[in-house]
Amino acid sequence: MTQPTRPTLDRRQLLQGLGAAASLPLLGGLAAPAFANGGDGRVVVIGGGFGGATAAKYLKRGNPALQVTLVEPQSTFYTCPFSNLFLGGLREMESIAHGYDELRDRYGVEVVHARAEDIDPVAHKVSLTGGRELAYDRLVLSPGIDIRWNALEGYDEAAADLAPHAWKAGPQTRLLKEQLEGMEDGGTFVMVAPANPFRCPPGPYERASMVAHYFSQHKPNAKVLILDAKDNFSKQGLFTAGWERLYGDRIEWVGLSGDGRVTRVDAANREVETEFGTRHQADVLNVIPPQKAGWIADRAGVTDDSGWVPVQPATFESTRVPDIHVVGDATIAAPMPKSGFCANAQAKVAAAAIVAALAGRSAPEPYWTNTCYSLVGPEYGISVAGVYRLADGQIASVEGAGGLSPMEASDEVRRMEAQYAVGWYNAICQDTWGTEA
Amino acid sequence: MRYLPPGLGRGLVASLALLAAAATHADDLQIEVMAGGCANCHGTDGRLSGAVPPLAGRDQALLESRLLAFKHEEVPGTTIMDRIAKGFSDEELAALAEHYATLAND
Repeated sequence: MTQPTRPTLDRRQLLQGLGAAASLPLLGGLAAPAFANGGDGRVVVIGGGFGGATAAKYLKRGNPALQVTLVEPQSTFYTCPFSNLFLGGLREMESIAHGYDELRDRYGVEVVHARAEDIDPVAHKVSLTGGRELAYDRLVLSPGIDIRWNALEGYDEAAADLAPHAWKAGPQTRLLKEQLEGMEDGGTFVMVAPANPFRCPPGPYERASMVAHYFSQHKPNAKVLILDAKDNFSKQGLFTAGWERLYGDRIEWVGLSGDGRVTRVDAANREVETEFGTRHQADVLNVIPPQKAGWIADRAGVTDDSGWVPVQPATFESTRVPDIHVVGDATIAAPMPKSGFCANAQAKVAAAAIVAALAGRSAPEPYWTNTCYSLVGPEYGISVAGVYRLADGQIASVEGAGGLSPMEASDEVRRMEAQYAVGWYNAICQDTWGTEA
Repeated sequence: MRYLPPGLGRGLVASLALLAAAATHADDLQIEVMAGGCANCHGTDGRLSGAVPPLAGRDQALLESRLLAFKHEEVPGTTIMDRIAKGFSDEELAALAEHYATLAND
């Protein structure tokens, strides 16, 4: 994504001052207008993905009198979840496309297809491409991720046209699919996997699975090589067992201690070099690079030095800037992962907190859940779940709940999990965008 | 950090149940937040039919006993609901059962 850049020196200093002021009760009270119970208020939501669309919908469900405006440049949103199934030949792109009709027509959300260019947290205003300004009492940012271009040597925006990341679903996903289809049988698909934290921890390994499935159907002599910057990954035991079961030795994974960390990318030649100088030649090269919170979070001044957004767990309000709530992949919310499910769950907590605050009430006690399904094969699903609550003011996994699919399970259980993965996708897309499967 | 559900949470849910007959706006918000995760597989208000069964409008006692059975691993062939149900106290599961039983299923 290309974004205009402007000097931010004064803004940084200003926001640091604001953050300090927010802790003073008097100023905090002035910053938050008090509405009567059920009164109205203006909420602007930036970003129409799992977090933003859910926030807009549940704000209106919580209080239909609120004026809710959703700002999202695209009129069609493609989900990263199930984009791997498109790569595997199990789905078309149209089946992971969602729109904003339900938000507009059923819930009365004003949907504006423009890009938010700047945020003035003092005046409580968002400026959009085309010059429009939106005033807010509360702002919700669901900015997703941006790529840290050049954090990995040689991987810039031009390189992504040759060696796609496909870590934002859309044209990049189609490009990777075209490259896979155009690859000769006997070729090698090389995936570069990043260090933590990054969007969708099991995503690279589901992608490797789906590419291996596609090869098993269309290019029986092709291989998958994963070069990983870490030694452990999400659902590792389940993936490894599934790969061996379904794909034999087609998928090879090289972790950090096996010299798997890629330090240089030569996209034009589809070659990568690792930390200790090993060079790998790819026929199709997929680089999943280091990431950070989406660009608009920087403009709002809510990111910290890590590039991600610290939040108050009970409300997902920024710890740095009052009246701005941030949800989804952009946030620091461990032990919750950066998943669409979590973005949806965090958005519901933030929406309820905003509805309560604008009515002069305290926020409800938060509850969060996560379930991440991954398909190893079309009829082979695995999952990880988590249930989260507040403990001593921090997000904590509930003792004894959640966890992985069992390592030992029948084919029937794996088949059911693959079906439930589809059920989950249909349900969360209905809940978020109103899409009828 | 790991965490056990505190007495406070259970007390809150018990109060919710008591107030259910005259639910206020604030209580609606609390149960909507508690039930928030259900929608991700069962659809908004638990109304979606598909691979995953709907929840809205089903018998309250049935829903509650089913949730407790998941929690205690008494449902053969369960994939994920055992892992989820263990994250809620018995009182919370009862409040969720009541919530979904009172929603219309259309």
